[in-house]
Order: sequence, then C-alpha cells, then structure tokens
Amino acid sequence: MKEIDRGEIRIASEGDIVMARRVVRNAATGLGFGITDVTRIVTAASELTRNIYHYAGSGVMRWRALAAGDRVGLELIMEDKGPGIPDVVKAMESGFTTRKGLGLGLPGARRLMDEMTIHSQVGSGTTVQVRKWLRRKNDATVANGEGSP
Amino acid sequence: MAAENISVIRLRDLLLVTVPPDPDDQTISALQEQVLQAMAEHECRGLVLDISTVQTLDSFFARTIAETVQMVAVMGGRTVLSGMRASVAVTATELGLTMGNALTALNMDRAFDLLGAELRKDRLV
Repeated sequence: MKEIDRGEIRIASEGDIVMARRVVRNAATGLGFGITDVTRIVTAASELTRNIYHYAGSGVMRWRALAAGDRVGLELIMEDKGPGIPDVVKAMESGFTTRKGLGLGLPGARRLMDEMTIHSQVGSGTTVQVRKWLRRKNDATVANGEGSP
Repeated sequence: MAAENISVIRLRDLLLVTVPPDPDDQTISALQEQVLQAMAEHECRGLVLDISTVQTLDSFFARTIAETVQMVAVMGGRTVLSGMRASVAVTATELGLTMGNALTALNMDRAFDLLGAELRKDRLV
C-alpha cells in the first residue's frame, strides 16, 4: 500500500467541521470517487469530526490518499484526547447516544465507509480510522482491452 | 465564524426557504429560528424548504430539519422538503436518517403543487 497524498486539520470549532468536509470533498473528488461515494465519505467525515468536537472538545483529523494494487482509497483518522468510549460495542449500536443526538455517528459512518477501526481508552482518548476504496476503472478497461480480440 | 445567508421569501401565505449548500451548525440552528419567526410573523400556512443545493446532510442537519418540520406542524403549518439530490438521498438513507413527517418533492414545482393540495385538504376537513 502506497501513500499518494496526506493532510491534517485541527478540529476545535464548528467551523472546523465545515472545513474538514471541504478538505475531504476535495481529496475524494481528486481521487476519482463518484458523486455518491464523495457524499458518503464527506458525510462520514462530518459525523466523526462532530463527535470529536462534541465529546472531546478538540482533536485532529488526518487524511491519506492510498494506492493498493488496482485500487485507490481515502483514509480518515480521527484522533482526540477526550474522555474515551467506555463501551465501544454499545457505541456502535444504532440509536445509542450519550448526547442530544440521533446516535447515528459511529454506526452511520461505518455503513457509509468500507472499513472502520476504533481504539478507545477511557480517560485518554479515541482514535477512529475509516477507509473507502475505489477500483480504478480506467486501468482495468485498458488491461481488459488488451486481452480481448 | 459568520453564519451563511439564508434566503427566506414569503409568497402569499407560503414561505420559501433556501438552505445554503454547506452550512455550519450555527447556520442550521439560525435557520430553524428564522423559519419559525417568519411563519408566525407572516401568518404562513405552508413552508417549502429548498434543499436542492445541499451537498451534505448529516445527522445534526437532518435532526434540525425534522425538528423544524415538527415545530411548524404544531404551529399549524405544513412543510415540504424540496429537491434532495440523489447522492444525498442515498447517503441519508444508508446513514439511517428519516426526515420525520416531512412531505417531500423532487423539485420546487411539485413542492408547491403538493403543498397546495395539502392545504386544500386541510380546508375541506
């Protein structure tokens, strides 16, 4: 797996959530994701950065553009030093929330993305990593075109 | 950070509100307040929320819209959500969002038709 590009943005205000959405939208569009996948990824980024802001107060969103074989991918890593999640399994249940929310943040982001990993320790913070992959159609077409009569 | 501009237009006893493309949370909350104030001030019976430029509908945004629809309803008004993009519809559904009791329409024309029909129905009852 190769890293093509990367960036990070500090999340400490509501404005940063908007900025994170824009950064992620640009990165996803640049990688060639279609409009629906871009919307999925941006929406997941919005849910997860809002979690940082509301639960931890502040944190960081890092993003990486990845290439692996015939796929490219976008990885988002959300890191905070907030209170942590006491029961990750419970937090992944739809409708579970400790705030005035819909409880869709984590389970929703998991449904919108291809991969999700959560590391959380009570008292020291939470790291959420999500990835979305895209098969590079152009390369596949070229390869198939060469092979067929 | 300054709240994005929200366009609120009154047409007879209807209110047409255009939601900005990428609002921050503060703007979304301000939108709710402005809508309710305008509904009361102009004695409106119906509301069209134009979301055709909205690129990202996350759970906070959706909750505020669903709440607004509910608040307008208890004030005696009807709301139609107009113009949700296909990509947003797919994402919102996968995320698990529901828009409460909101009526929905593909575009503004149909939104006004639907709202008109709903209001006529109310009048007959």
